[in-house]
Amino acid sequence: MIRFENVTKVYDQKARPALDSVNLEIDRGEFTFLVGASGSGKSTFLRLVLKEDRATSGAVYVAGQNVAKISSWRVPRLRRGIGVVFQDFRLLPQKNVFANVAFAMQVIGKSRSVIRDTVPEVLKTVGLEGKEHRMPHELSGGEQQRVAIARAVVNRPGILLADEPTGNLDPTTSMGIMGILDKINQNGTTVVMATHDDDIVNEMRKRVVELKNGIVIRDEAKALYTSMIPVVGQSRRLKDASGRENPDAELRGEGEGQR
Amino acid sequence: MRLAFILGEIGSGLRRNLSMVVSVILVTFVSLTFVGAAGMLQMQINQMKGYWYDKVQVAIFLCSEGSTAAGCASGPVTAEQQGSLNALLESPAVSQYVNDFQFESKDEAYKHFKDQFSNSPIVDSVTPDQLPASFRINMKDPEKYQIISETFSSQPGVETVIDQRQLLERLFSVMNGASLVAVSIAGVMIVCAILLIATTIRLSAFSRRRETGIMRLVGASKTVIQLPFILEGVIAAVIGAALASATLWAVAHFFLGEFMSQQYPDTAFISSGQTLILIPALLILGASLAGISSLLTLRRYLRV
Repeated sequence: MIRFENVTKVYDQKARPALDSVNLEIDRGEFTFLVGASGSGKSTFLRLVLKEDRATSGAVYVAGQNVAKISSWRVPRLRRGIGVVFQDFRLLPQKNVFANVAFAMQVIGKSRSVIRDTVPEVLKTVGLEGKEHRMPHELSGGEQQRVAIARAVVNRPGILLADEPTGNLDPTTSMGIMGILDKINQNGTTVVMATHDDDIVNEMRKRVVELKNGIVIRDEAKALYTSMIPVVGQSRRLKDASGRENPDAELRGEGEGQR
Repeated sequence: MRLAFILGEIGSGLRRNLSMVVSVILVTFVSLTFVGAAGMLQMQINQMKGYWYDKVQVAIFLCSEGSTAAGCASGPVTAEQQGSLNALLESPAVSQYVNDFQFESKDEAYKHFKDQFSNSPIVDSVTPDQLPASFRINMKDPEKYQIISETFSSQPGVETVIDQRQLLERLFSVMNGASLVAVSIAGVMIVCAILLIATTIRLSAFSRRRETGIMRLVGASKTVIQLPFILEGVIAAVIGAALASATLWAVAHFFLGEFMSQQYPDTAFISSGQTLILIPALLILGASLAGISSLLTLRRYLRV
């Protein structure tokens, strides 16, 4: 479903690359955790899948298509096949729950009747039935994230990208969110989740891809947050983590789209 | 569905940005009014040219009692001088340029004068003696005035030769100057309008960055994302253009049509119907100004 072939991404010629010759394949229907310190390249990975950025070298394949070869007017079609969830939910504050989810369908031209049928169904999947008319500020963080997930999957994308979806939530709520993501995954959606949350990763026992300074240093099935094999050079890793500006801010930042 | 969605977006954008939208409307209104005023002045000039150029004549004024011109040293024109001037006008050298000519005696001149200034008290103080007799010449080609002037101004008994067209040219050059001023003001105002539209669209795009960000992520097409912003600018500009059109029409109808044409009944003013052809031009100008400037702004500030 997602394949990276020797992908390198350089934001700044003087700094080290954000991703450095990454080779990775994520199959259809897989649940993959992307772990690593801030600046390790997790968000860059997600941005490349969405074609928000162009790889400096190498090829990114999404659903069998080389994204570099997708013309700009076809990019929307690529993105319709990918749902995205963020740490900060990104709901529209002046729209209620139903309207927030329906928005994702309206903008791609779905008919009103389809929207009326699909939205309640998806809200039920994420456990928000009966809260259609609440405004985002009337919801708890966990409920807001559920709305965001509903919005991401309402168009039935083949891939769901989650960039630290539990970053703002307490452990119990986080587990609830993970339950929903797992359920979506079991319905056949490929889920890629970037996270720092070791408890969740340890609980879920899914595939773990660990990035460090833009290099894949671990790719284990049914793994834990930290490797069971001791990693050499632990102290250097800590130094690097604080040594570089945080590229994750690019994907999380508020001002996105206005630059 | 998508159309309804886009319309809804436009509505909410206009409401959110109301004060900016109002200023865009006013600026396009003022700038297009000046553009239209310049257009109306040109139309008026053409109208008057068409009306007057058929009627204006070259006038050869003959010496009368008080004339001080060099050709009048021998006093008022004699019948003999008048006869030789008449002969000269009929000679082939001159008549090839002349359509026809009439002699206007002092009494006829007085009658015309009385007609022309019937409202004015000046009529009472003028006597036929004070008005010069003249030959009125209709030229085949009004441009050939110079030939008549050279031939006749040195003849005895001729006080002066006047091309009435020159009097009109002076008026037209004033009107041309006025329309030039209107066009330059319009130019400055249009620059203002473009910049203001760009700023408005920028603000609008910024205030809706959450929506557009989500639209991008869920795969909305470029059209769906950008069209509401572009149409917002276009709608505001078209409203401004409509106001400008209404103003110009009202000026033509009420000021020129009812007030001025009563004050100056012998002047041909443009009718309000004629200004109607300016309206589509103004609407198109306004819409394209807004469309182009918002498209350029969005290219910079709304990544898709």
